[in-house]
Amino acid sequence: MEQTVALKKKKILIVEDEAAVKNILRDTLEKSNFSVIEAGNGQTGVALALSDHPDLILLDILMPVMNGMAALKKIRQDPWGKRIPVIILTNISATDEQLVKGMVEERPEYYLIKSDWKMQDIIKKIKKILNIDKIN
Amino acid sequence: MTTFPFHRVAVFIISLFIATGWYSLAIAQTTGGPTVTNATTTLAIKVAPGEILPVSVKLSNFGGGSRVDVLVQYDILNSSGTVIYTSNETVAVETTNSFIKSIQIPSGTKEGDYSEKTSLIYQGQLTPATTQFSFKVEPKILGVFRSDFYLYGGLTLIGGILLVLLGHNLFGRRKIGRFAPLDYSNAPPDQRVFYELISDTILGMRQKVGDKALIIAEHIDGLVIDKHTGRVLQLTISPAKVVAELVAGYEKSLGKKVSFSFRNSIKENEIKE
Repeated sequence: MEQTVALKKKKILIVEDEAAVKNILRDTLEKSNFSVIEAGNGQTGVALALSDHPDLILLDILMPVMNGMAALKKIRQDPWGKRIPVIILTNISATDEQLVKGMVEERPEYYLIKSDWKMQDIIKKIKKILNIDKIN
Repeated sequence: MTTFPFHRVAVFIISLFIATGWYSLAIAQTTGGPTVTNATTTLAIKVAPGEILPVSVKLSNFGGGSRVDVLVQYDILNSSGTVIYTSNETVAVETTNSFIKSIQIPSGTKEGDYSEKTSLIYQGQLTPATTQFSFKVEPKILGVFRSDFYLYGGLTLIGGILLVLLGHNLFGRRKIGRFAPLDYSNAPPDQRVFYELISDTILGMRQKVGDKALIIAEHIDGLVIDKHTGRVLQLTISPAKVVAELVAGYEKSLGKKVSFSFRNSIKENEIKE
């Protein structure tokens, strides 16, 4: 039973409005043996998160309909969402006091500036968070 | 220009020295019943093919001060006794004569053990006066004999590896010491996460740009840090504002954006609460 659980693909939810970025993330994650679901804005992201219960969420901040921080706040309000690991992937620097407050309150695992990180490094962080380094 | 008679009075002592001074030998011949002494020492003399083998020769005539013309012959023999080089010259000796003979080892000479044999021939000679010494022919690599090159090269390599390991070890420890996350378990509970966030941000930036990161942090309003370690000592205004100002300061001064990571232990504690 434990083996079955260990070998099951981990599900990653990508919440990102830029198609190019989303495609790269999806392709890389799938090559790394992850199962991927996608949303193009915060609102859809929240809905997918609460319905599909992914193992981890990659979340952009600046998106139409609902921004990433608002989406994260809603996810955290759900009992399941309190523990879900989230990596914020954004190009927005945390130079705004309200953004920092929100980040500290909703506590993602990482707040990463997209342009500073290679995909493989992000994959490593995901694996580390999900504790699947040894499995793969 | 030969002087007579020598068969009774000429007594020669030949001393040969390698110019390095490592080696000497002597033979003596007397007319009254030839005695030849040959003091040969084992040598560690090496010469490369094509290079000069300098031989210091000292001829001493104990035959009464009369001038003698002596034919000095130089032979180089390989380990099987075959002569691979020969030359000779006539030297006039009245009492003593010292000179350095330069023998060029043929450039095609194979590596191995050789001997240099010097013979004296002069009129009235009763027995051959010869002496010889051994030397090695060994090619050079980058101006150093091959065996020395390997020896010293190996030692240098080992020394280099040890230095690198030592340096890496020391630097690694220093780095760990400088960049290890600082503990803020004594920070005000409601601000601990900010202390950690700010501290980790300063350390992370310090890894990238050095102590400039500390200098910039020192000038952020509301942030009090240890100037040497970057430890956050106090936050005197809104912690979120301090974080935002710090990020803005780094971006403005260094042109670098700031990513964050949160410490798991804190998160777990808060979830439990």
